[in-house]
Amino acid sequence: MTGDLALGVASLGAALRRGGVAVGLADEIDAAGALALVPRRDREELRLVLRAALKVRRRDWERFDAILDEFLRGRAARPRRDAAPRGARPGAARDEVETGVAAWGAGRARAGEPGYSPAALLRTRPFPDCPGEDLAGMERVLERLAARLAARRSRRLVPTRGRGVPDLRRSLRRALASGGELASLARRARAVEEPRLVFLCDTSGSMDAHARFLLALVLALRRAAPATEVFAFNTSLVRLTPMLARGGVAATLDRISAAVPDWSGGTRIGDSLARFVLDHLAERVDRRTVVVVLSDGLDRGDPAVLAEAMRAIQERARRVVWLNPLLADPRYAPTARGMAAALPFVDAFLPAHDLASLERLLPQLAA
Amino acid sequence: MSPEIEALGESLEGAGYVSDPPTSTALFLATALPRPLLIEGDAGVGKTETAKALARVLGAELIRLQCYEGLDASTALYEWNYPRQLLHARIWEGRGEDPARTEAAIFGRDYLLERPLLRAITRREGAPVLLVDEVDRADDGFEAFLLELLSDFQVSIPELGTIRAEHVPHVVLTSNRTREIGDALRRRCLYLYLEHPDLEKEVRILRRRVPGASGELAAEVGRFMQAARRRRLGKVPGVAESIDWAEALVRLGRTHLDPETVAATLGCILKDARDLRELGGAELGSLVAQALEAPP
Repeated sequence: MTGDLALGVASLGAALRRGGVAVGLADEIDAAGALALVPRRDREELRLVLRAALKVRRRDWERFDAILDEFLRGRAARPRRDAAPRGARPGAARDEVETGVAAWGAGRARAGEPGYSPAALLRTRPFPDCPGEDLAGMERVLERLAARLAARRSRRLVPTRGRGVPDLRRSLRRALASGGELASLARRARAVEEPRLVFLCDTSGSMDAHARFLLALVLALRRAAPATEVFAFNTSLVRLTPMLARGGVAATLDRISAAVPDWSGGTRIGDSLARFVLDHLAERVDRRTVVVVLSDGLDRGDPAVLAEAMRAIQERARRVVWLNPLLADPRYAPTARGMAAALPFVDAFLPAHDLASLERLLPQLAA
Repeated sequence: MSPEIEALGESLEGAGYVSDPPTSTALFLATALPRPLLIEGDAGVGKTETAKALARVLGAELIRLQCYEGLDASTALYEWNYPRQLLHARIWEGRGEDPARTEAAIFGRDYLLERPLLRAITRREGAPVLLVDEVDRADDGFEAFLLELLSDFQVSIPELGTIRAEHVPHVVLTSNRTREIGDALRRRCLYLYLEHPDLEKEVRILRRRVPGASGELAAEVGRFMQAARRRRLGKVPGVAESIDWAEALVRLGRTHLDPETVAATLGCILKDARDLRELGGAELGSLVAQALEAPP
């Protein structure tokens, strides 16, 4: 492997990471190995080789192509690397890559980055304060109930002392001690499986306080169900899961409120859920997953979009639970267009205005 | 295109597989580096067929492991032949054989039932193609186990010791993305995402796989399928469905599409009640008319 190839791959990898395409060092090593195998390549082939070796997922293809084109354009401004003999001057190679990266950076700044705009990310909006005794009480209740969640059994068999199907391998092993006499049968039973949960929280103005409650609940639940995924939506969709990893409840809530872009102009539930279906449904929801949506169902978008998204989610998930704080009011009827559109695709429709109602949610999450 | 990749593409064509540059490139890299290849894509786009074609091109045996929820080592890797072990333990006991020698004997290779993964690494004749089909259906634990096997190509059997690969197999994993594949496993592999073919490729596949179909019928089926995939369908039909449908039409003696036949055979391509409703009726007539129109 020549030095300039390694440097080129490394700087492309850095550019991809900055652009939001997950590429690791191992992938870069694979890419360098693959490129060494295909020495005479055109641009299209380079793209195909890199896609395979860097493991670029289908949803990242457009972003990857744009970054790669930008990267190559930055390098083309310099003398072509093919024109110079390989590894002619180490200094020259580094110089070339640096210029390429600099040109790439400049191009990106001009074009403007797709996806999140930093301005929206920085505009913070603190959740309204939640009474301390409620949070503490909730944590106590949740600790008691969390164990109940982890009750679903998988199809995988693990050794057990109690009841189960005979485990011939272990039985025979034991029998050898008594000269081939099968005195007792060893048994296997189905393993206990962690529940998989996906929470979709509406964080628009009217829902802030409720979202805060639910997020506190989610944080407590993660002890029983570490695979829990959390998304927030108002006008767009943000995945919160990576922010839940560290620190206590208060610190986490602050981190989240900093990351969720500000609400303006109304909730787009349908569009946000459609985005979830497109980007995350296949990977984060399966037959084991319970999906919980927290929203008042006041959608400013097309109810058909919402209905279609809910249909897709229900088809894939084990169960869909919709939490609506308005349901606490006995006079409430789900007649808002969005809520009415979503309701046929909901397995359980529950209130979520206080601790007691969240307590009622827990049995829905277990098997 | 590089000559090596082009050559592989041609061999694939020769083996009855219609390839395209992304597929040829990924297969070339997977065999040359060599690394396992993870193929993802919708159901019916030809993920399994790609592995089979690779085996044909390499002249290698195809060893297939179909994954499912609850798959464990005894079905995937190996299992002891218990009845045989018990029988022989009894016989030797009757002869007054030393128990230690009995144990050594009945935990020998002769009593081992090789399952796909073990067979893939113990084959003496040459490197086989190991197809781990629908790896997303197995659980996380199995994935971790697979990861270990794919990094060392050796298996430890407590009673027997470590078995190393005679020839490192060419590994192809496929996934429908019913579950996200763990990052560690993904990083071990090269990656190929198969898309539904374009019209030209689909017609070529149909001509190759359904020799009884006339050129016109293949083109009409291809155009119909391309148009149908642009509709909002719950289960988008893949090439596998196109082939089934073309075969059905040939069996019915049709040389062209007509609305009645299409309505009667729509079950070959649409396997969902809602989709059947979506494409039924007037919608179907316009799709058939579109398919019958020769391109300008």
